[in-house]
Amino acid sequence: MASIAHWIKSFTLWELLKGMRLTGRYLFSRKITVQYPEEKTPMSPRFRGLHALRRYKNGEERCIACKLCEAVCPALAITIDSEQREDGTRRTTRYDIDLFKCIFCGFCEEACPVDSIVETRHFEYHFENQGDQIMTKSDLLKIGDRFEDQIAADRKADAPYR
Amino acid sequence: MSKSLSQLVSSKAVAEVELWISKYPAEQKQSAVMAALRIVQDENGGYLNRELMDGVAGFLDMPFIAVYEVASFYSMYEHNPVGKYKICVCNSISCMINGSEKIIDYLEKKFGIGVGEVTKDGRFSIKEVECLGACVGAPMMMIGKEYYEDLTPEKIDIIIDGLK
Amino acid sequence: MSDASTVTIEIDGKTLEVKAGVMLIDIADDANIDIPRFCYHRHLTIAANCRMCLVDVENAPKPLPACATPVMDGMKVHTKSARAIAAQKATMEFLLINHPLDCPICDQGGECELQDVAMAYGGDVSRYTEGKRVVKDKDIGPLISTDLTRCIHCTRCIRFGEEIAGLRELGATGRGENMQIGTYIEHAVSSELSGNVIDLCPVGALTAKPSRYSARAWELNQYPSIAAHDCIGSHLSVHTFRSDTNRIVPIENSEINECWLSDRDRFSYKGLTSRDRLLKPMIKMDGQWRETDWQTALEKTFAAMQDTIRNYGADQIGVLASPNSTLEELYLLKKLTSNIDCFNFDHRLRQLDFSHQDQAPMIPTLGSSITDLESLDSVLLIGSNISKEQPMLGIRLRKAQKKGAKICQINHRVYDLRMPCEVGIAAHYRNLVLELAAVAKALNIDSSLLPHAANTLFVQAQILEKHSQIAEILKNGEKSHVILGNQAISSPYYSLVEIFARAIATSCNCLFGYLTDGANATGAWLTGAIPHRDYNGASQKTAGLNAQSMLEQPRNLYLLHNIEIDYDCADPVTALSAVASSDFVVCMTPYVSSDMQNYADILLPISPYLETSGTFINIEGRVQTFAGASKLKNSEARPAWKIIRVLGNYFDIDGFEFNSSKEILEEIERTIGEFKGDNTATITEATALADKEDVIYRCSEVNMYHSDSIVRRSEPLQNTPEAKEDRIHINADLAKKLNLERATQVLVKHGNKTIAMHLAIDDTVANDCAWTSFATATSKKLGPMYGVIELEAD
Repeated sequence: MASIAHWIKSFTLWELLKGMRLTGRYLFSRKITVQYPEEKTPMSPRFRGLHALRRYKNGEERCIACKLCEAVCPALAITIDSEQREDGTRRTTRYDIDLFKCIFCGFCEEACPVDSIVETRHFEYHFENQGDQIMTKSDLLKIGDRFEDQIAADRKADAPYR
Repeated sequence: MSKSLSQLVSSKAVAEVELWISKYPAEQKQSAVMAALRIVQDENGGYLNRELMDGVAGFLDMPFIAVYEVASFYSMYEHNPVGKYKICVCNSISCMINGSEKIIDYLEKKFGIGVGEVTKDGRFSIKEVECLGACVGAPMMMIGKEYYEDLTPEKIDIIIDGLK
Repeated sequence: MSDASTVTIEIDGKTLEVKAGVMLIDIADDANIDIPRFCYHRHLTIAANCRMCLVDVENAPKPLPACATPVMDGMKVHTKSARAIAAQKATMEFLLINHPLDCPICDQGGECELQDVAMAYGGDVSRYTEGKRVVKDKDIGPLISTDLTRCIHCTRCIRFGEEIAGLRELGATGRGENMQIGTYIEHAVSSELSGNVIDLCPVGALTAKPSRYSARAWELNQYPSIAAHDCIGSHLSVHTFRSDTNRIVPIENSEINECWLSDRDRFSYKGLTSRDRLLKPMIKMDGQWRETDWQTALEKTFAAMQDTIRNYGADQIGVLASPNSTLEELYLLKKLTSNIDCFNFDHRLRQLDFSHQDQAPMIPTLGSSITDLESLDSVLLIGSNISKEQPMLGIRLRKAQKKGAKICQINHRVYDLRMPCEVGIAAHYRNLVLELAAVAKALNIDSSLLPHAANTLFVQAQILEKHSQIAEILKNGEKSHVILGNQAISSPYYSLVEIFARAIATSCNCLFGYLTDGANATGAWLTGAIPHRDYNGASQKTAGLNAQSMLEQPRNLYLLHNIEIDYDCADPVTALSAVASSDFVVCMTPYVSSDMQNYADILLPISPYLETSGTFINIEGRVQTFAGASKLKNSEARPAWKIIRVLGNYFDIDGFEFNSSKEILEEIERTIGEFKGDNTATITEATALADKEDVIYRCSEVNMYHSDSIVRRSEPLQNTPEAKEDRIHINADLAKKLNLERATQVLVKHGNKTIAMHLAIDDTVANDCAWTSFATATSKKLGPMYGVIELEAD
């Protein structure tokens, strides 16, 4: 019985018609393809993109050199040196993230007790030279300054769920 | 080098301290520390200073810090000048329920000073203290070594006038 | 079954047979049952004020503190029952009321006892909304930083000061909420053991200032090592952060340092990164210093040595090595020098009297083990400020004293030994001999055994009450010890001091021992780093010049190993002029100073302690090997043994093929084999005592924080009040005699040098004696450690 059905199907190009039907259905249905980069998909406030170091409103850097992000980082991408600053506070003298090592897991962000290291929504970046992938403290602070409004809004949006 | 006690206080006071030392075993001279501090405090017009505490420490062979500990622990030792009459108002539970706060307010207003301050003429100072064991007569206060109980503003006026 | 001394108890269902009267917490610790605690510490007395160790004891109405509850027969204890846990949780909550949540910036974070216990017993959310207590931080010196808001009032630091350091500086002032730990009157703590409170503090209230905020506990690598600044050889752990030493902490060793460490051993590492470090070999050409490579430098050194040997003879070479050098370095130096027939090799840089060196024991030792010091009945310290020079032994003697031992001292100054002293005699170096003679006389020793020089003094000696007292104390002690300290060994009358000290010890049947300079003087004697003996005390064909003669009779070429001649020698002025007048000076040194640049011709950078491997023999005769821990960046410094090996190869001497310091040690073990740490010796040769004159005798003590080149460059140690002590001390009588009662500054004339010094009137100093601290920037401008000086108002 099955072999007869198979024999008839092969002559009527049944499989092809089936395929064409699917094609036809998608031809007329609503398109979901996004025309990146002109168009962009919506993003969650929890998006984990490029890192940034934040500052307080008075311009003071948030980071207190507790090194918890360095400790938690599963890819060992963070390197921190710290010292006592003139005013007696604990500060970093070096804060490097190697973006080639980073796996964007967001643990650093979770570990940070002062919301200093964050991952922004920014993910469109590239490097032109060997070594550029090391984000230094000043790079990270600059990114933080640039996206501060967005970062602050994202933290606020996520706060109820924490 | 700190001065020795005999350079700081009268020989009478030193003799008194020695009397207290003699009450304890010879190797436990430091037992006399509280009495010694009280004696030198009285001698110095009611408060202690570093020199005196160091003097006591030297006299009793104690480390300086051990004397500072005692002197800062007990509330009867003063570290700042006090008035000739140190008015100690009890503000513990029984007195508080019976209105000791009002008594303190009245005293403050009467002398124009706050708790822990001294009047300009140096005669009075007010101090808030813990229970002095005279709850039966609450609210109460102590001036010098006298207890005054069942206080009212009027009674205070009479007591203070009586001190002059 | 249990007799009177043992009882049977049950902890958490485990039945234990234990000694009666021991505290529960000790039993639990031994049985590996965990009980949380803060105020309890095994080496301190019990305070029972933190209440964290509350446990549930059956039939007790309330939970009891395990640290203060002695075990009793049939006791049933539950450390994990609902009642125990509830009590512990309540205590934890109480302790956390005022403890700030600043763990992320706290240096203790990650190794904090409070943090650990809070993980187990703390609540997730605090029920308290009230403000927390804030305490102003106090400045208690350059070594310890305070964050007293974090303090939980366990009082370990206070008890340490009182019981172990013997100097009560920290206290708890105020009461209740206002209770604060501090010095009350703000001043830098002066204890030589103060750093231990950092380890003791269970929270981050007291942390190390030199390493403040520089690394986290979990980032550090640990390397075991041996302390290199005194003859004790404390065990320590070097914690490095990316190859730099970040801090040093003690390793518990009940036979040597227990769980303590002196501040000198703890903070000297800061000197390793000093700007004075010599990074590359340097050579002086036409008066200009040039960096060079190792090969050139070593070839030049070899050529210079060969020139001297060829033109003037090997006798014109003088080799001086620091007593802090490792056994391997000294062994190779001895091998090198004796193979080129040069016997002018010495490590006894701070010694002035060598007259009895031939009769000295093979190696100087303490004469007992360090732990045995605790069980002494009486001690006579001669020329020793033991609490500062060997702080670890100070701790042991303090323990003995607490158990009833009687401590006597005969010093240039009655030192504050941080413990009550039964008899303290102050005498300048000349009178010190006479005081000893008087004690010997009080003991009625057989004077016929004394050599002539000593016998005359013995006959003249007058016995005073203090002498008979010391004699009585030593005689009555079942276990007594006579100890010759560093200052006795440096004395110009060392031989006489030793003769009398030995006579006293023999007549009272006391132990006799030495306390030597540096970390490895014992090893130096053993390897023959002395001009008159070979390895292991064996005789050698000729005797060379000792350290002092080598400088008094300048040599043509000097090879200086790990020393700064103007600080490390007993007579800095003579030493400097000797090296200045010589033709060639080779310095194997980790540091370079401007003086060194003046006198040296070649500078060979060697790896200092912590960067090299080696072995020290401590004063008990204990052989302790350690490996290198850290490494300085951009430094070409080499371990000294490698440099000496290359020199040996250049000289074509057999047996210089070593690949590691371990191989050298193995050879030492083969050559030297068993050595005996026996102090017995009969001394008959002595320097005659000079006639008494009406003069002022200068006596010196090596400043604790200037003892060697690393310590001298440790910034935190140099900032302590102790390191800055640079005054000349005289007693009130002498001040009166010289009309100096109101003077603050005086002119000190020693030999042909005159300098101005600050004056301190100090009645602990002996009559007619001027006491100075040595190896400081001031003292190097003055003559030898001991000598006759003149004082006048400035």
